[in-house]
Amino acid sequence: MKKKTIAVAAVVALIMAALLIGIIFTDSDKESADISETMQDAVLHENDKIDFFGLEVNPGFISALIVSAAIIAFAAIVRIFVIPRFKLKPGKFQMFLECIVSFFDGIAKQNSPHKNGFLGAYVFAAGIYIFVSTLFELIGIQWISVGGGSVTLGAPLSDINAAIALGFLSYFVILIGGIAANGLRGVGRTLKDFSLPISMSFRLFGALLSGLLVTELVYHYMALSFVLPVLVAVLFTLLHALIQTYVLIMLTSLFYGEVSEPHVKKQKNKNKKTETAVSE
Amino acid sequence: MPLNIDWQQILLHLFNFCILALLLYFLLYKPVKKFMAKRSAFYEEQAKNAEDKLREAEELKNNYSARLENVDLEIDKKRNAVLHEAAEYREKRIGEAEAEAEALIEKARRDAKRERAKIIDGAGKEIADMVGAAAEKLVLGSTDAAYEAFLSAAEKSVEEDDENK
Repeated sequence: MKKKTIAVAAVVALIMAALLIGIIFTDSDKESADISETMQDAVLHENDKIDFFGLEVNPGFISALIVSAAIIAFAAIVRIFVIPRFKLKPGKFQMFLECIVSFFDGIAKQNSPHKNGFLGAYVFAAGIYIFVSTLFELIGIQWISVGGGSVTLGAPLSDINAAIALGFLSYFVILIGGIAANGLRGVGRTLKDFSLPISMSFRLFGALLSGLLVTELVYHYMALSFVLPVLVAVLFTLLHALIQTYVLIMLTSLFYGEVSEPHVKKQKNKNKKTETAVSE
Repeated sequence: MPLNIDWQQILLHLFNFCILALLLYFLLYKPVKKFMAKRSAFYEEQAKNAEDKLREAEELKNNYSARLENVDLEIDKKRNAVLHEAAEYREKRIGEAEAEAEALIEKARRDAKRERAKIIDGAGKEIADMVGAAAEKLVLGSTDAAYEAFLSAAEKSVEEDDENK
């Protein structure tokens, strides 16, 4: 008990010392002048464009490519070396893979009981992409911008273009589900929620961007650069990776389930007729 | 565009995600789901087989129980049939024996009657002969000789009767 108390006290003292050193040795006036520019760059990426085969793209797209390549490589390795060795009594890794697939498939089935084959595959891909790409900002890979400066690659979805792409694609998937299940009625049901793609896009963008801004803010001040980033960066990133994944796939599944629900004809008139007949 | 929204980049992101989704579906989602479906089908089949076997065993058990219950009844039935048959046979045999005995008695009576009639007939004839012989002797005159002859004739007839008996 004593040892534990001493260890906790030592850690707290170290944190406090680090914070004090940061506060003493940093010039807050100089940094506060740069922060608005940093924030603006983080949102708009106007000064940190990256060259991609002649096209000037945001760092988020390079991040998206790296994340996609990593996920595809992982999937290919699993497909070639792991899946053929699957056993009836699963091992830990097999269990992990099955849990992930079952989780997304379960969400699709639960929220859209009528048509869910395609939805399951979509939310699986979207979920994994959002989760991994949000965690990607933890690595902090450096890239060279068009201007020759160094750019830290953030989460792909902190780029509004990526968020809009995913939001609109989700809406398109919902629309396809509506058409497949109910034809024109499905289109009507989907168009009824016309604000959905915008809300989904900006929700994703806002959530991811806020995480990025908080991290930028913390890293920007030397005083906060000791110890605190461990909590802010890792915990915040992990948390909002999980939350955003869950939110987007849940919203997509819910709306998909709503529009693909079979139409039931209302029997109000018939019921009224029978009621009057009974009363007579 | 405000907020640096760029349609070209949106399309690039879409293209990137579509490829990723497609590859993830074929490399990970579909094979894992297929394996899981295969495994659940295997276990469902196993469960179904076990259920079928259990049902068969239940049916066999019920059959045997029913047959065991019927065995006692069947044994009783057969025993009654055998007893009934034995009783009938006994009655028949007794009837036959009685009829046979009656026939024998009847025959013995008939024989005895016939024998008696025969003996009576034979004795009358002898007596008539003896009376004839005695009368003859008397007629002829020698009483002693006639008497002697009568005695020997009577003795002879008695011996013959004994022999016949």
